[in-house]
Amino acid sequence: MENSNALIQFRNIVMTFQDNLVLKNIDLDIQEKEFVTLLGPSGCGKTTLLRILGGFLEPTEGKVIFDGVDIAKLPPHKRELNTVFQKYALFPNMTVYDNIAFGLKIKKISKDVIEQKVMRMMKLIGLEGYEKRSITMLSGGQQQRVAIARALVNEPKVLLLDEPLGALDLKLRKEMQYELKRIQQEVGITFIFVTHDQEEALTMSDKIVVMQGGVIQQIGTPEAIYNEPANRFVADFIGDSNIIPGRMVDDYKVRFDNKEFECVDHGFEKNEPVDVVIRPEDLDIVSKEDGMMTGTVDSVLFKGSQYEVIVETVPGTSVTVQMKVIEDNANEVSSADGKEKISANDFFVDIEDVDALDDKEITARADAQAWNPESDDYISITSVKYDIKPEAGTYPVTFSTSAGTMIQKLIHVVNQPFVKNERTNEAIMAFNFLKTKGELLEAQALDTDLKTWANAQAWKLSNEEESVDIYVDYDFELEDIETGRSYPVKFMTEGRELKVHTVNSVDEGAEVGLRLDKNDIHVMRISGR
Amino acid sequence: MKKNKHYFGKFFMILSLIFFYLPIVFVVLFSFNSSKSLTAFKGFSLKWYEKIFTSSNMMEALTTTVLVAIVATFVSTIVGTLAAVGLSKSKKIVRDLVLYINDFPIMNPEIVTAIGLMLFFVTLGIERGLGTMMLAHIAFCIPYVILSIMPKIRSLDPNLADAAMDLGASPWQALTKVIVPEIAPGIFSGALIAFTMSFDDFVISYFVTGRGVKNLSIMIYTMSKRVNPTINAVSSLIVAVITAGLIIVNIMPIVKEKSEAKRRKKAEEAGLDPDNIEPDNDGMKKLMAAAIIAVVGVIAIIFHGNGKGEFEGQVLHIYMPGEYLGETTISDFENATGAKVVVDEFDSNEQMYIKVANGDKYDLLIPSDYMVERLMQEERLQPLDQSKLKCWDDILTDCTNLAYDPGNVYSVPYMWGTVGICYDKTKVPIEDLEKDGFGIFNDPKYKNQLYLYDSERDEFMVALKYLGYSMNTDDPEELKEAYEWLLEVAENMGAEIVTDEIIDNMAQGRLPLGLMYSGDATYVLAENEDMGYFMPESGTNIWVDAMVIPENAENTELAYEFINYISSYDAAYGISEYVGYTSPNEEVFDEMSSEGGLFYGLDSYVPRSGNPKDEVFHYNEETRKIISEYWSKVKIAASNAK
Amino acid sequence: MKRFSQLAMPYIVWCVVLLLLPMLLIAFYSVTDDGNGIVSFSLTLRHFTKFFTDPDFLLILWRSLKIAFKTTVICVVLAYPVAYFISSNDDKTRNMLILIITLPTWINMLVRTYAWVGLLSNDGLISRIFSALGIGGGELLYTEGAVLLGMVYNLIPFMILQINTSLCKMDKSLLEAASDLGANGFQTFWRVTFPLSLPGVISGISLVFLPAVSSFFIPKLLGGGKYFLIGNVIENQFITVGEWNFGSAISIIMAAVMMLSMYLVRKIEKVNAQGDRD
Repeated sequence: MENSNALIQFRNIVMTFQDNLVLKNIDLDIQEKEFVTLLGPSGCGKTTLLRILGGFLEPTEGKVIFDGVDIAKLPPHKRELNTVFQKYALFPNMTVYDNIAFGLKIKKISKDVIEQKVMRMMKLIGLEGYEKRSITMLSGGQQQRVAIARALVNEPKVLLLDEPLGALDLKLRKEMQYELKRIQQEVGITFIFVTHDQEEALTMSDKIVVMQGGVIQQIGTPEAIYNEPANRFVADFIGDSNIIPGRMVDDYKVRFDNKEFECVDHGFEKNEPVDVVIRPEDLDIVSKEDGMMTGTVDSVLFKGSQYEVIVETVPGTSVTVQMKVIEDNANEVSSADGKEKISANDFFVDIEDVDALDDKEITARADAQAWNPESDDYISITSVKYDIKPEAGTYPVTFSTSAGTMIQKLIHVVNQPFVKNERTNEAIMAFNFLKTKGELLEAQALDTDLKTWANAQAWKLSNEEESVDIYVDYDFELEDIETGRSYPVKFMTEGRELKVHTVNSVDEGAEVGLRLDKNDIHVMRISGR
Repeated sequence: MKKNKHYFGKFFMILSLIFFYLPIVFVVLFSFNSSKSLTAFKGFSLKWYEKIFTSSNMMEALTTTVLVAIVATFVSTIVGTLAAVGLSKSKKIVRDLVLYINDFPIMNPEIVTAIGLMLFFVTLGIERGLGTMMLAHIAFCIPYVILSIMPKIRSLDPNLADAAMDLGASPWQALTKVIVPEIAPGIFSGALIAFTMSFDDFVISYFVTGRGVKNLSIMIYTMSKRVNPTINAVSSLIVAVITAGLIIVNIMPIVKEKSEAKRRKKAEEAGLDPDNIEPDNDGMKKLMAAAIIAVVGVIAIIFHGNGKGEFEGQVLHIYMPGEYLGETTISDFENATGAKVVVDEFDSNEQMYIKVANGDKYDLLIPSDYMVERLMQEERLQPLDQSKLKCWDDILTDCTNLAYDPGNVYSVPYMWGTVGICYDKTKVPIEDLEKDGFGIFNDPKYKNQLYLYDSERDEFMVALKYLGYSMNTDDPEELKEAYEWLLEVAENMGAEIVTDEIIDNMAQGRLPLGLMYSGDATYVLAENEDMGYFMPESGTNIWVDAMVIPENAENTELAYEFINYISSYDAAYGISEYVGYTSPNEEVFDEMSSEGGLFYGLDSYVPRSGNPKDEVFHYNEETRKIISEYWSKVKIAASNAK
Repeated sequence: MKRFSQLAMPYIVWCVVLLLLPMLLIAFYSVTDDGNGIVSFSLTLRHFTKFFTDPDFLLILWRSLKIAFKTTVICVVLAYPVAYFISSNDDKTRNMLILIITLPTWINMLVRTYAWVGLLSNDGLISRIFSALGIGGGELLYTEGAVLLGMVYNLIPFMILQINTSLCKMDKSLLEAASDLGANGFQTFWRVTFPLSLPGVISGISLVFLPAVSSFFIPKLLGGGKYFLIGNVIENQFITVGEWNFGSAISIIMAAVMMLSMYLVRKIEKVNAQGDRD
């Protein structure tokens, strides 16, 4: 990529802002007549880099070489490039004509020459007849074009565009993308375009520079970036993708989800852990027998041009617990004068979590509340008495109000086993629990409540701190719940779900097979998290 | 390029800072000056500050200012907030109309607003005083509050109140718990502006006040005619308070932030969620309570009574010329009687007349002879109850039973004297004076070197006397001639037309010629031995200022007490000594004018007698009007001639 | 929300009584004759004719306008660089600078004006500095210069604040755009910054010109009675001469002058903002 004949060369650019390292040693070459896009999420440093080139920022370190000359110290008005600003920065007190002519007037070009150039520009952007308009009277798209014209009329060698299409609505944006590309090709100069929209970048660019965290992640043509992302970030950022952890068994052979696949990548160490990227449109849905992988269709979403199908190829890890429905009043105590009521539940806790229990936590887990039955006002629970040890057993706990109304319940300390799944690197755990029918009927978000009541948790085996999402499954209808019975509740993790883009629809719940070509498997080194 | 501009900018900034702060530094510095001078710093002293606290006048002005400012701010903030909220939900027409009217005090020149309010009060017969001042302040403060809040309200989500009420809040709760906190910054800055406008106000207060109620600005304005470093001391105090206030207001958020950060840190260290701790409101509440107690305490101290006395708790309202009392005249009286004295000062008899005629109530007035005559004729005075007066034995017969009040039915002399020319003996040869008499005011030799006194009848007296006419003439031709002569003087002589400013200026020898009252001249001569006093042969005016009790006086007993007090030796001596005027008290007069006396040898102290051309003024309504108009024109001509 | 609009009711009553009524009273007095009687009155325009036919009064009006004009120009010229400097700093510094500049304005106007009396008197600090620098002597106090100084001193902070606000509100990217298009520092200022700051200048003018025209105690304190401006005339008519009707007429004239200037100012603002004239 390095070419000493490049028009613009960034060498070792470092930028620090108030103790933040915004750009870390950027090296980049840009050729003449290239349409280059700097692409990345907010804060990745792309705009900073652009502004350094434009002269509005001085880099903390590094050189900016333009046409062979280091321009790092040159003020903006002396650089041979022009900028189209994010919010256009059109001069509000001037007409369209005056705005466009501004740069030319500064250069003291004669009036007729100015008129020629400006009118030519107006034609180029398609706003003939609007010369005398005040720019405040123009629509967003029109202002955009004036901003472009104003910059281009000065015939710069390079045009810098700082997210210029951000403020336009979708349709207009797509139109402008074509316009800009057309203008660039017609005028034949270098465009450096900054955006966070990867689709935009893919549409317009000759070359894309993907940035994240002040570092260039990958430089390449749109196809290269799309098909061969250099790392997980690029893969994730550009287009939809399925990223699966796997292992490189040997050259041209990769293993993931307990299966081996042929691929076209090589040069990795034997059994090196890698990230595997598969684009949704590369997966075909076939019959179960014909599939290289099999799974169940989880959901189908109609997106207009295609269907987005989620197929679960590896079921998640699950655990089932019992929910026992108990007497309503077993959990309630009234005060002698009937002015106060207090309620609480028994609950289960794992031995390991005993030390973390305090008054607040216990009150929450037991769902202890006190209230005035007539007015429904809440009364605070002023005392929580318990004596608990990190040993298996049953311990009483007493909740009382300041008036002396109290209720005693039990804390069951257990050594709860958890369910492991080495294959998917997950573990899940949940507890039995007791609830009254009233509490169940009052629950507003039942799934979430069930998770809380059962204290369901799931985490990665490789890293206990990393939690995994849990889904709930149960078979009962709330209205039919009977006191005294137990109902099973199943908690499970996701497992592996693949996103597939297909033109034909499938039924939810169908068992299907998936096929893909070896060229469609792209293997990447695992980048530092 | 950029760097250059910054240096230039910084330089300019520093220059402007010097410009802004120079007067303030000067004021603070000279408030500690041991001498009266405004130009030379002689030594360090706190005496001017002492004067502030011992002068009940000053303290009252101070409390009035603060009280009015606090009340006005409080009321205008509340009313303004409610109005702003209400208007934002009103129909557009109503809102636009009200906002247009709201603009009046802001857009109009202050003097127009002031006059409007004054006319309003007078026309409705509302007596001017503290109440009208408060009303006026509230009236002009509210618009600023509204102006400050409206933008904030406009930027609010219009559904805010609806959302609150949807969630169960009553309209009042929605207002106080949702809307008000959102617009709080606007309310706060509005209150701040209101306070400043009220505290600072001069023009409006000046016109709508009465009964001797003054605020600081008015006080400074009246005091500023004479050199008075007490103003510097007051100003320095104001500077100190304002600076302290601003610092507190600006530091408080920072302090709050720091203590917040501290508590968050503590919470984090303790393992608690820092976002969930209760904010420390107690500290704030304690601070506010302390502040309120302090303010109340200060006000209480200031307002504490003067001790025991026969007239404990009563108030005497006097309306008299400025700079006409001795140093301790009032405080001595207050101490002796336990009463409080409120002194209102006028620049001229005409000024006094207007206020009195429009219903302002006073217990005692001290007008000049001809004005006494006028008030008598218009039945605005009460005849004095001679049985209550104990002064006649002490008073010189020369100044009693004069034509303006035969038999002294209505008045008791306060001070008396002549009008004459005060001149610099080193710059004006006596021959010129003897030759020209009053005509010296038109002598081109002294162009730009003379003062005229801003009093229509005194200046007309000068003109008429010079032209050889009686100063009491009612002949329109003679008056016209006098007017034209004065016009000539005004247009050609570049004179400065002043009132009491003349005293200190001539004492410093600033200009060599000026028309002066004999008493002021005595002061000047005593201060500056280069100065002399001359009365032309063609005659001059002998005048008497006298104490009278208006028809609508409320506290007449106290008024009699005061009259007797003034006429007594101690008080009379104190006044005469301090202002230099001739006392009607025989003993004082003899002592002052004889050998060893304070004003021995100064012929300004002893009113001339024996010149038949010397006259006492008579009041004549017709000529008064004519002279008044003429004099206005003379002043305008003088100003336009520059 | 009808309920909320009722909150404004008390104020509506209040402002009609205490703000509108006084103005109407002034107008009333200006066209009636002597005395305060509301019951019996006769309409007359003689007060107005008196003012307009007397060259002396017109001259005073003219002089007041002249002095106000000079004050305004001085304020604009001196305030602009200061405001520009302030706006070129970051938020925190800016607020501090604004605080420092406006602190004196919190202090009573009379106090500050009076301070100049001392400073400008013969023998005063300024005189001494001037003679030390070799600049000629002569009177400083009681001159037109002193009056101008007093007015500028009291009013310039408003101008500074207005210009500063307008400069701060300016979109900084416009400056970058100008620079990007080849304009150096000065050109950027002249072609972009200054035109865009004009609204601030104009509102500053309205905050300076009007009070300057109607001021009466500054000319009195610093002009020594030699500078009798329209404000002094009004005060004189009400306080000393007692011609309230005439005084009211002059007030109306002055209020009219104000409204005219405000109208002109607004018009200039509108023209500046450029409507859609195609």
